[in-house]
Amino acid sequence: MKQILMIAAIIIVMTAGLASSGPGDSIKSIDLPDVKTVLADGPGKDTSEKFCNLCHSLDYITMQPRFSRVQWTGTVNKMIKTFGAPISDEDAKVIINYLATAYGNGK
Amino acid sequence: MTIRDLTRRDFLKTTGAITAAAALGGLPTDLFASGPRMATFPEKRELILMTSRPPQLETPMHIFKELITPNDALFVRWHLANIPTYVDMKEWRLKIGGNVEKELQLSMDDLKGYEKISYTAVIQCAGNSRSFFEPRVAGGQWGHGAMGNVTWTGVRLKDIMQKAGIKAGSVDLAFNGLDSAPLPKVPDFVKSLPVDKALEDDIMVAFEMNGKPLTMLNGFPARLIVPGWYATYWVKSLSDITVTTKVFEEFWMKPAYRIPDNDCGCVPPGATPKKTVPINKMTTRSFVINPSDGTTLSKGKLIELMGIAFSGGHSIRDVIVSVDGGKTWGEAKLGQDKGKYSWIQWFYPWKPEMTGSYTIMCRATNAIGDSQAIEKLWNPAGYLLNSVEKITITIS
Ligand code: HEC
Repeated sequence: MKQILMIAAIIIVMTAGLASSGPGDSIKSIDLPDVKTVLADGPGKDTSEKFCNLCHSLDYITMQPRFSRVQWTGTVNKMIKTFGAPISDEDAKVIINYLATAYGNGK
Repeated sequence: MTIRDLTRRDFLKTTGAITAAAALGGLPTDLFASGPRMATFPEKRELILMTSRPPQLETPMHIFKELITPNDALFVRWHLANIPTYVDMKEWRLKIGGNVEKELQLSMDDLKGYEKISYTAVIQCAGNSRSFFEPRVAGGQWGHGAMGNVTWTGVRLKDIMQKAGIKAGSVDLAFNGLDSAPLPKVPDFVKSLPVDKALEDDIMVAFEMNGKPLTMLNGFPARLIVPGWYATYWVKSLSDITVTTKVFEEFWMKPAYRIPDNDCGCVPPGATPKKTVPINKMTTRSFVINPSDGTTLSKGKLIELMGIAFSGGHSIRDVIVSVDGGKTWGEAKLGQDKGKYSWIQWFYPWKPEMTGSYTIMCRATNAIGDSQAIEKLWNPAGYLLNSVEKITITIS
């Protein structure tokens, strides 16, 4: 029992060590885990993964409900016009087609 | 193997190493039918993963059995990928500038020199419950777990601003944090409050949550607390407060984070609001926390139905509970009162005498009579949802 508690305590200390620093130390730092999200297969996947991963992780796409082509067009345009995503008209078309198919609702 | 197993195994494998890798690679989220994607981030226990860069993590509902949400279980929501992961307190300063008599640069020691205050307040993301909108809307697809109840400690913003001296003709206070945009055209995350609101007694610059320094992901070293209002204003890792002489209307104030300018903050599903205002006070809400949705329990045994209720800075007057899908209602007993910004627990003992399926609902009313509708409201951004929640359980 004592041993189990000891191990638990060590794990807690080590976990805490991932984030904080010792007393008296003025620096606090953390290391973010590397979580990967891969998009569903389909034509345009590579283009989408390339551009839609620039500012945020791809789970921004995968967490959305299935949207219509009009809705996905709106989202891609927002990324370009509002947030300045460096995506050409041609690539935008490829991405919209991809999203409307792989993450679309058929409308 | 489920993703949950993967995460846990990887976490154990890398505990003690520099990075807690929650490698979830290789599978599209469509395949996560077995349950939500989970991940373990620094200073956090395993939470529901919304997005990884920037981190957005949701608290599982069972955590809300506790009156106070533990620091390592509190949800996380950032907007811009460059979040602070390193802060040297020798360097960190809270800068006060703009239309003030005297600019200030406060170290943490300076900040702690002001009178300390502390209270418990619900923190809730503006987008909490967005995934329950019908029809669905784009944005963070939160369940109900982008909320928590935390005891915050810090100093009054008012006291700091008094020292700086707000000059005549001031309109808004704009709050900026250490996070920054990944590409140059992405607008920096800056939020504002009108001067009158910002100078209310209870607006806090907090440096502690539940008696401990803020976790990095919840806004170390200091964040704004605007109790009763949605957390979009509770700027994390606060670095700059600027007093403006014009209405502050940068992207995250307009067009982002707006609600329709009417009593319900809603429009018919699919409609575009004619006029909008910045989102502000939280709506009144209540939840059934115990038992959890879908549970099977036995006939003739006493069940302590339990839940929580809160509203935008007004105490909860009463919570009524229905165990028959809303046909009849009874009043719940309220738990410990931790003030008007905290949530309050409700309890409703119930002994089901017949087998079958039961729909359990709860409905809170606050001190000024605001309550919850049965029907869901709708608006394009997915805010303010506060309809009566139901869970279904089976008695066997
Ligand atoms: C220039 C930076 C940038 C690029 C490139 C980018 N996004 Fe975004 N995206 C953002 C920002 C900023 C947000 C808002 C973040 C927040 O509120 O948390 C966002 C949010 C989203 C959301 C959430 C819904 C919403 O409207 O806020 C979706 C979906 C999304 N992006 C999809 C995409 C897709 C698809 C692509 C590729 C075509 C893409 N993004 C590329 C910056 C970008």
